[in-house]
Amino acid sequence: MKTTSLLIALSLFVFVSSCNKDDNPAPETPEVTTGLYVMSEGNFSGSNTMLTYYGFSDNKATTDYWNSVNGSGLGGVGNDILLYGGKIYIPMNVSSNVTIANAFTAKLISKIEFTDPASGAKREPRYAVGYKNKVLVSSSDGTVAVIDTTSLTVDKWIKVGANPDGLAVSGDRLYVANSGGYNPVFDSTLSVVDLNTMAETQKVKIGVNPGFVAADNSGNIYVACGGNYADVAPSLVKFSTATNSVVKAADTAIGKIRYYDGLLYATGGYFGSKNVRTLSTTDFKETRSNFVTDGTAIINPYGVNIDTETGDVYVTDAKNFVTTGEVFCFDKNGKKKFNFSVAPAVGPNTVVLIRQ
Amino acid sequence: MRSLLRHFLWAPVVLCAAISLQAQDTTRTMEKVKVTGFKKKNPFDDRLPAQSLSQQTLQQVNAPTVGDAARFFSGVQVKDYGGAGGLKTISVRSLGASHSGLLYDGIPVSDVQSGQTDLSRFSSNNLQSLDLYQPNPSVSLLPARAFSSGSVLAMYTPSFNVAALTRNRWQAGVRNGSFGYWQAFGGAAWILPRNTILSFYTEGVSSEGDYPFTVINGNLSEKTKRNNSRLRSLQGEINLSKQFRDSSSLQLKAWSFVSKRGLPGAIVFFNDRSVQQLYNRDYFVQTRYVKSISENTSLLIAGKFNHAYTRYRDPDFLNNSGGLDDRYRQNEGYLSASVSQAVSQNITAALSADFAYTTLHANKSNFAKPSRWSNWDNLLLSYADSLWQVQGSVLWSYFQDETKRNNASVSRNKFTPAFSLSRKLGLRSPLMLRAFYKEVYRMPTFNDLYYNFIGNTSLRPELARQYNFGVTYSAHAKGTAGHFSASVDGYINRINDKIVAVPSQNLFVWTMLNLGKVDIKGVDVTAEAGGAFGMITWNARVSYTWQQARDITDPSSSSYRDRIPYTPDHSGSGILSVAYRKWTAGYSAVLSGTRYTIGDNSSFTQMDGWGTQDVFVARNFSLKQLHLQVKAELNNLADRRYDIINLYPMPGRSYKIGFTINQ
Repeated sequence: MKTTSLLIALSLFVFVSSCNKDDNPAPETPEVTTGLYVMSEGNFSGSNTMLTYYGFSDNKATTDYWNSVNGSGLGGVGNDILLYGGKIYIPMNVSSNVTIANAFTAKLISKIEFTDPASGAKREPRYAVGYKNKVLVSSSDGTVAVIDTTSLTVDKWIKVGANPDGLAVSGDRLYVANSGGYNPVFDSTLSVVDLNTMAETQKVKIGVNPGFVAADNSGNIYVACGGNYADVAPSLVKFSTATNSVVKAADTAIGKIRYYDGLLYATGGYFGSKNVRTLSTTDFKETRSNFVTDGTAIINPYGVNIDTETGDVYVTDAKNFVTTGEVFCFDKNGKKKFNFSVAPAVGPNTVVLIRQ
Repeated sequence: MRSLLRHFLWAPVVLCAAISLQAQDTTRTMEKVKVTGFKKKNPFDDRLPAQSLSQQTLQQVNAPTVGDAARFFSGVQVKDYGGAGGLKTISVRSLGASHSGLLYDGIPVSDVQSGQTDLSRFSSNNLQSLDLYQPNPSVSLLPARAFSSGSVLAMYTPSFNVAALTRNRWQAGVRNGSFGYWQAFGGAAWILPRNTILSFYTEGVSSEGDYPFTVINGNLSEKTKRNNSRLRSLQGEINLSKQFRDSSSLQLKAWSFVSKRGLPGAIVFFNDRSVQQLYNRDYFVQTRYVKSISENTSLLIAGKFNHAYTRYRDPDFLNNSGGLDDRYRQNEGYLSASVSQAVSQNITAALSADFAYTTLHANKSNFAKPSRWSNWDNLLLSYADSLWQVQGSVLWSYFQDETKRNNASVSRNKFTPAFSLSRKLGLRSPLMLRAFYKEVYRMPTFNDLYYNFIGNTSLRPELARQYNFGVTYSAHAKGTAGHFSASVDGYINRINDKIVAVPSQNLFVWTMLNLGKVDIKGVDVTAEAGGAFGMITWNARVSYTWQQARDITDPSSSSYRDRIPYTPDHSGSGILSVAYRKWTAGYSAVLSGTRYTIGDNSSFTQMDGWGTQDVFVARNFSLKQLHLQVKAELNNLADRRYDIINLYPMPGRSYKIGFTINQ
């Protein structure tokens, strides 16, 4: 009996001493000088989106920089980050707002609710691009929001197709990929929006389940189509804004795609190559089947961003989307310059450069 | 931390007091309250680890459903999404929810679609006892399917043992609690001519579940309330039993559960919109026939038809058809026959054969519409004398799937052995040593295999190996002293080919893979004691679990040798109740240590431990032949705010007042 009570007392002691979580020291908050912001989306229902600041002066990464500056978290699934006119715009997909901050301090300026006032349903914003004094944000509810960069209010909700995803500006027109990803049968169209009237002018058939979109500087739009996971394979489609038609399509699986200096930089997504590839803009042939030339291993290249001043290529490694991610920087020849962990952030998807 | 410590320090003080109280021998005879003559094996005298909560205990703890009651068993982790409408599933000894079997009055309850049954749909109010067996009940005459899981949670209603009924009875009651909780129930049993008994029980629950909680987000933290957490449910059963002249018995049961509940979902910062609804309409009819063919031969025949309808509605889902409205219909026909034969005075052999046919329909396009033929055959041989109990068995499992669309899984089959033994240290010794080994073959569920996009038809079944070594102590002193029983079991489990969901293209699209190897070590401790001093009688129960379940899949992975999600190293519970004349009062506590939200353990994925404490007081009244009881409960009395699942807050302090009447 005595031994039993001793055993129980002992186990409860062990228990009490193990019932609280380890303490984390509060991170220091460095000033933003020249460096990078990394957006990590977190887990789907985890409200653990984080912003990392990486300073070039001391080569130090500070995650969760947003929280250190603003004293609270960003929320659920930061899908993208856009640096535009001294501000950063963060489409928060699950929290359903666009969070706007000063790009040089990361201090919150405003949060725009993305809620349909009629139904109360959340719009679920996805990606953002800038055009003149507007920022355009696609949302899964079939709209593109036109945010005025001065008043920071939404001028207009442009109606496009089903579950729009990636978007890109070419000339005075906006091209939005209508994925239809929430439906049993996916959408296959690209919405063309006239940016003078801020209205959709047409929908062009582009390929099943269009996702990420990139524009080059000679009037072409590149669309990564996901296929239907059954009989239609993923493809890459080139659309000419001059002729308003598809000029090239090829079966290849692509997650995200960027255009830089005459080449396309593509991640493979789940079905495609595990390497970042570079593709020719004309025939989509691989100019390099692995952009990385020094043997650096990346588990799951989720995002790719290019510094247009230096040609440096940033690749975010989301690993298995559950464990903490990593960011790699390569020179234009594919040799690693540096890498850093964004721990404890999960799912890094986008890198933006900040210079001051 | 200091206030947290204070909450936890409560529990050991009370529990230690319970132990020392029990050490004082008392002079009065303590009679265990027996509501009926429901006869069961003493769980502390069993070859296989078993735990039992009696009707009396179930009425004393804050456990309106079986999912809540299971928290008091050692070795069990309950996944609870919060509130009366929150889904509750159990994982026993870290094997995962799909490895726990369920028996309702001796017949398996199954869910081939998800592999796990929501235990919040079974009321604990109508149970004679709730038992947990690892890995299965130790009786010989049992359906083969009851041998197919890593553990068995068995619910017994009063209708399971009708011989106990000596006169017509009825009961009715109502309970009201915080957050708009109302429960009303009633039942009756009539003795009809020719040894026939008819009984029914029904219960309705309504709860708003709008309990307060705090969104913890730095300087934007805010106090708010759960919304869209309303629950309406109605359940009922009708039983007809007949005892034949040749002492064989037949039982027939029709059971039904209907509910509508809001799914409040995980807390999302800056987004409190929640409109998802879950509807359930389930019923089953089951029958059980037991016959002793001769002194040495017994026969059990059972059959069941089960229908489960699940509807999930999300009006906000951004598709072109105005939201999501998924409807699933699962049907299962089940037949079982078992025979046991005493070969000699010490040796018994038993053979059982079970068949089930299950179909699943859904209103989704491109849905596979799977169906499955299952067959389990179990052969066992057991030996028992006054010191030894030994049993060896082998289970054959066979599964064949068909689909209307797309590919089906190939058929799967396997022989899995089990072996167990126990030895008393002496004829009069209260100590007994026991051990078992068992292999468990877990066929992937329909969701694992055929769920649109996510399912993977090439999944292999999971294989779990369980090793258990334990010692039990059971002393029932005659006359003046009380009783004390305890068991300590150490175990090692190994899971190969564990089926896990992993994100594939992005965080929104997941797929199922045979990814895992899990290494589980643990110790379960359970102790029960009771006694009396003066006019006061008391009962105490303590359970404690130490376990470490580690992912040993891939040495190069960052989660290698980390703990699997939601499995604390330490957890436990304690119950103490005292009775004095017409008064009873009790205290109970449930405790859990820190755990991790994902397999990649770090201080950022670690969650605080928690502990809740409940108290109650009840007064009985007698009015001629009527028995009345008024009971008041204060639950989570320290108002501890905690999550069991990350971002699913649990209710804080709440009250409940109940009034029951029976004859």
